[in-house]
Amino acid sequence: MTTPTPPPTEPRYQADFLTELFRDPLDPGYADAAAATKARGYRRRPLWLRIVAGATMLSIGFLLAVAYQHTQAEQPGRAKVREGLIDQINARRTSVQTLADREEKLGDEVTRLRDAAIPGPEAARLRTAEAAAGYRKVTGDGIVVTIGDGPEKVDPVTGKVDLTTHVLDLDLRLIVNQLWANGAEAISINGNRLTSTSTIRLAGEAIQVDFQPMIGPYEVSAIGPGDLADDFDESRTADSYRGLVKEKGLTFSISERDDLVLPSAPDPVLRYATPLVSKSPSPSPSTSPSGGRK
Amino acid sequence: MIAVLALIVGVVLGIVLDPTVPVALQPYLPIAVVAALDAVFGGVRAKLDGVFDDKQFVISFISNVLVAGLIVYLGDQLGVGGQLSTGVVVVLGVRIFGNVAAIRRHLFRA
Repeated sequence: MTTPTPPPTEPRYQADFLTELFRDPLDPGYADAAAATKARGYRRRPLWLRIVAGATMLSIGFLLAVAYQHTQAEQPGRAKVREGLIDQINARRTSVQTLADREEKLGDEVTRLRDAAIPGPEAARLRTAEAAAGYRKVTGDGIVVTIGDGPEKVDPVTGKVDLTTHVLDLDLRLIVNQLWANGAEAISINGNRLTSTSTIRLAGEAIQVDFQPMIGPYEVSAIGPGDLADDFDESRTADSYRGLVKEKGLTFSISERDDLVLPSAPDPVLRYATPLVSKSPSPSPSTSPSGGRK
Repeated sequence: MIAVLALIVGVVLGIVLDPTVPVALQPYLPIAVVAALDAVFGGVRAKLDGVFDDKQFVISFISNVLVAGLIVYLGDQLGVGGQLSTGVVVVLGVRIFGNVAAIRRHLFRA
């Protein structure tokens, strides 16, 4: 034995247990057993003990192999699940896209057939009403307001992402309402046409327009009267965002465009109000929220 | 010699049989591995020191695994399972490191 054998005194674990552990990591039992063997003279170890020791080694090897395989099996499983989910998302996205294309084509056909079937003045009235409601593709001159997230700021201590440099649903709502107020006739956000019942909401950190997740920078296109650009440019909303550009690094720009094409919104989901059973004279529970004006 | 053979046979058995670990025992598997490694390195060092004892080795392995598992189980019940596992790994890791250092001194005289 190279290390000095500590005398097998009884109070082995003093208060300074950790120092002891670092100094002499060998199980003190080995030294005790060696001392005992020496005391009663050398004797060959009994066979059964050696078999038990062999069995212990066997079980240790078994344990190592099992643990290794278990860890190995766990890792690709997680990655596989993740990959599968990504594949599913991509597949669903493409199928949604093809279905949307088909819907647009069929919608165009329906419109064409209907225009052919309805006499002239009636069709014109319908067209105007549809365009105003957002259910018909419209073209015209207007402006595009682009707003994007500022540089990502992460708190170095807590690791939290600073959300004040992000565009929020509130920002898009403010801009859209300002555009309506300045006389815009049709508005779309990143190609999603807004109607009177459209929603602009925050889900987690993503902005959803009519439950479609949007990715920044956000382009708000609006078709309206000729002075729309000037009116919006002078509005307090535009002013406050120009301030945010300086303060938080958001991107914000207004540009006039000719011949903007705004797509039609998906066909509305019709909701029917059902009268209450009890005839209480309470104010009518309106189910359809009346949104921005045309 | 027998011990090394037994270890290899154990590894082969584990690979061939490929048993599934019950879900309840899965959190204890890494701790059991560390405890077993501690017993193995302690045994190797004792062998080189010339004080190897079969009984001591068997008992140290079984008690290591059982006590380590028990500590982690207790920690899980008290809500500090992660911290206690870390504690077990640190203590056993220190011992493994010390024993490996002693083995190294034996083998390379350095």
